[in-house]
Amino acid sequence: MELSDWELVQKCQSGEMSAFEDLVSRYYQKVYMVILGLLRNRDDAMEVAQETFFRAYRKIKSFQGGSSFYTWLYRIAVNIAIDTQRRQKRNPLDFRETMDEVLEEQNEVAKDPFSDRLVQAINDLTPEHKAVIVLRTLEGLSYKDIGEILGCSEGTVMSRLHYARKKLQSKLGGFL
Amino acid sequence: MKNCDSTRESLGAWLDGELDRAESEAVRAHLEGCAACKEEQRQLEKLQVALKSVLDSEASRIAFPPFWSSVQQRITEKSAWREDLVDWLRSVFSGPRIAWAIPAVILLLLGVLSGDSLVSGFRSFGQRNNFASVESIDAYGRNVALLREDETKTTVIWLYQNQEGEDESTTETRPSF
Amino acid sequence: MSQRLKQGLLFSSLTFFVAAYLRAAENSPQTVSVKIETILASNQSGEFDSRLKALEKQLRVLKYRSYRLLNEESKNVPSQGSASFEIPGGRSLIVWPQDFRNQQVALKVRLQGGQKPLLDTTIRLPNKGNFILGGPPHDGGVLVLSISANVQ
Repeated sequence: MELSDWELVQKCQSGEMSAFEDLVSRYYQKVYMVILGLLRNRDDAMEVAQETFFRAYRKIKSFQGGSSFYTWLYRIAVNIAIDTQRRQKRNPLDFRETMDEVLEEQNEVAKDPFSDRLVQAINDLTPEHKAVIVLRTLEGLSYKDIGEILGCSEGTVMSRLHYARKKLQSKLGGFL
Repeated sequence: MKNCDSTRESLGAWLDGELDRAESEAVRAHLEGCAACKEEQRQLEKLQVALKSVLDSEASRIAFPPFWSSVQQRITEKSAWREDLVDWLRSVFSGPRIAWAIPAVILLLLGVLSGDSLVSGFRSFGQRNNFASVESIDAYGRNVALLREDETKTTVIWLYQNQEGEDESTTETRPSF
Repeated sequence: MSQRLKQGLLFSSLTFFVAAYLRAAENSPQTVSVKIETILASNQSGEFDSRLKALEKQLRVLKYRSYRLLNEESKNVPSQGSASFEIPGGRSLIVWPQDFRNQQVALKVRLQGGQKPLLDTTIRLPNKGNFILGGPPHDGGVLVLSISANVQ
């Protein structure tokens, strides 16, 4: 019987490291993907993802269960990512090179022009637009939760998603 | 009654289940009679499936053991609970409750020490049935993680994908542990 | 040379060669049976392939949601020889047995992507034991290889 996030949090709060390990295993990939959307560089995203869980561990006793655990967690992640973004200036081309490597590995045997184009199109979105796409697609979060995480209104989430999807559609043209 | 422009504006939110009942019904009614908007719906749905596949695939590459190991390392290095212990000790020994504080401190220290070994237990090896020793490893500039599974002591070698371009002369290997 | 001496020399040289042969047989086994199980680990479903039951504890630590056996192949590799195994995604795994000592078999293993080497390792395994090599992306997940060796 799988424990709920809140049950695991309570176990963490009483010092059970294994409960924290379970929480990390549930969310580490998704947290990484959200941050990758904001930072566009894998090494930085990995660094920030690990820092996110470290800070969550430090602050776990202060989590009261008011919001869901994952929105609390993603908020930590987004705040660190935004701080990191402010401290760094990254050339957008860096990420494109990284994604090209990803594509090369992914499409080793058969070339898949559709995935190729889709990945580049996601790449071209601004961090704010990519973040909403990732949070909605990977986690299926409600607009309310996404707004809470990114610090914006539901209306803003809706219009960012609409814009991002329109952009992706226009780049994918006849593939859809 | 919705027109095409207004329907298409709301189509994403409709597919996400974010519209209220009245709006949702208006979109549904329009779609029933409009082939062009129905096509738009089909494209959006296809986009959603493709996005999920690409993002899931990227996310699933991140292996858990080295990630968890790095998080643990941050926790032990930054010694959060040791700092809390020091703070607590300071507060205890500055107060009048020293008599019961001493056995409590002993118990707490034992807890801290065994917690320590639990955390570092991930890295301790014993001579068990599947223990293997890695005599050499060369990942040609890629990051690689070397782990041992706790119960059976099985060796796991994890190869990461290359971050930098092929023609760079040096690749910084970021430690995972 | 006296008869006695000749016999003595013959006997001791025979003993020497037999001992040397036995020691060599322990250090360089005649054949090593190498088995590669190619597994696809992903989060796309929650299914655990029942054929991987024996590896369950080892695989669970990787924390993927599903594990599927794609291929299992065994080859008898002569000592001083090598064997190549095809791995999905245009890759291959080459194994060279090195030696056999104290019930442990040393293998040199190379993972290649096309003609490009991705990883070389020399590892000393208990006889009939295995190790795991994982990470290359494939089909929405990652490949995990279980490499085991059995000295006959």
